[in-house]
Amino acid sequence: MTKGDQFQTDARRAGDRLVAAHVREDPFAAAFKATRMPMIVTDPNQHDNPIIFCNTAFERLTGYSNDELIGVNCRLLQGPATDKGTVLKISDAIANGRDVAVDILNYKKDGSSFWNALFISPVRDDDGHIVYFFASQLDFTNVKSKEAELALARHQAEEAVAVGTRSLEAALAARTLLVHEVDHRVKNNLLTMASIVKMQARLTKDQGQRDALMSVLNRIEAISTVQRKLFTTDDIARFDIADFARELATDLVGAIRRDDIHLTLDLTPVYVPAVKASPLSLIVNELVGDAVRRGLSDGGGEIHIVVKRLNGHFFIRVEDTSVPVETDETSAELARMLLEASARQVGATIERSQEGRRTIVNVKLLVENEKDVPY
Amino acid sequence: MKVMIVEDEMLLAMELEHEVETADHAVVGIAATSGQAMALVGETPPQFAFVDVHLQDGPTGVDVGRLLAERQIPYVFVSGNIKKLPDDFAGAIGAIEKPYTVNGMANALAYLSAIVGGDQSASPPASLVLAEDALRPQRFR
Repeated sequence: MTKGDQFQTDARRAGDRLVAAHVREDPFAAAFKATRMPMIVTDPNQHDNPIIFCNTAFERLTGYSNDELIGVNCRLLQGPATDKGTVLKISDAIANGRDVAVDILNYKKDGSSFWNALFISPVRDDDGHIVYFFASQLDFTNVKSKEAELALARHQAEEAVAVGTRSLEAALAARTLLVHEVDHRVKNNLLTMASIVKMQARLTKDQGQRDALMSVLNRIEAISTVQRKLFTTDDIARFDIADFARELATDLVGAIRRDDIHLTLDLTPVYVPAVKASPLSLIVNELVGDAVRRGLSDGGGEIHIVVKRLNGHFFIRVEDTSVPVETDETSAELARMLLEASARQVGATIERSQEGRRTIVNVKLLVENEKDVPY
Repeated sequence: MKVMIVEDEMLLAMELEHEVETADHAVVGIAATSGQAMALVGETPPQFAFVDVHLQDGPTGVDVGRLLAERQIPYVFVSGNIKKLPDDFAGAIGAIEKPYTVNGMANALAYLSAIVGGDQSASPPASLVLAEDALRPQRFR
């Protein structure tokens, strides 16, 4: 008899002793044998902890006969794709006499694999020594393949979302690029228009023509400044009229280099939607331009500009102490028309009053709540 | 001061040239590409330069700027999108955003010519966005 045969004989005898300890009518033993759940008992006190008993359900599950199973270690069920970490977990639990529940990929006699929900528990005698290990198995390959299907479906859905996101991102990048390109073109074109007007103003010998051209240039530049400031702020849909007024007034007064024109500013940021930026800026441009022109011809004066929110209204005031002088009729008419058109465009009211040397122009406009503002 | 204009739109370049000359400065040359600009710097080094970012050979204005900074020639960018400039402004004093106005450019030019001449008493105009280290002394020879 070989050593292997001897081990198998020992294992079978141990199994027989285990069965013999239970009377025929023992309902627990009967249940163990008849249950549809595959179960085995191993003996850790024999060499290599062999199977000493297995039920019919276990034979059915694995395809091995009782003869082939008794006396061998359970690793018989392991195969090429069995996870080494899971195997380690089982042997660790057995070595330390602990319960263990794992999901492990096992192999049947015919070489096909199945997912096994394995539970192993030590059985101790009255002294606490481990005499057996009891193991139950559950084939959950069907569940596992459902899981795999679900995981695959989820993966495909995620992939589809990722593809969608990438194309949206690409579209957004293209759109951003387009907006920047158009913005760049618009800015260069505005500057080109201004340059052409400047050139002609320089070439003409006629003072009247030159004045007319400079008057056109002034308005082109006001619109140019709006375009520049719309894209300078992070939020392109928001435009700060106070910021525009500051730059316009300081640049204008700075460039004329006259010590007798004193500018004071009282500005708090007032944001308006992009659609209102041009008309409101034209209003500020007309009022400030008018005050400076009169100051220039009059011999100086004080100019005070206020931009703020007042009782839910947007409020602009331009005040100056220059004596009103007769300006050229055409340019006065143009200024009046631009003011009127811009005011009607945004629904603003313009009130002009005169107190001695002091000219006061108040512009009022109801500003909608931010969330109602159309872009 | 002797000024170089680096700008690929000839109409804008010529108009800027006129504005520079009106303010009693001399234009040493107009360059439409980074190559022309770098050649100009070698041949007739300017004392100051206006540099557009987008030139005929691409967004190479920044390269021109770095060369100028290396040669300690003060300059400003003139660009339609100053948000796209490098954080360190590539050594520029600052930037003038397009479309600038006649007044804005005149005020910027007056301020720039003063600081290049060593007078830092004035405050910068609204049309000029200064770099953080715009006024460090080693920038000017």
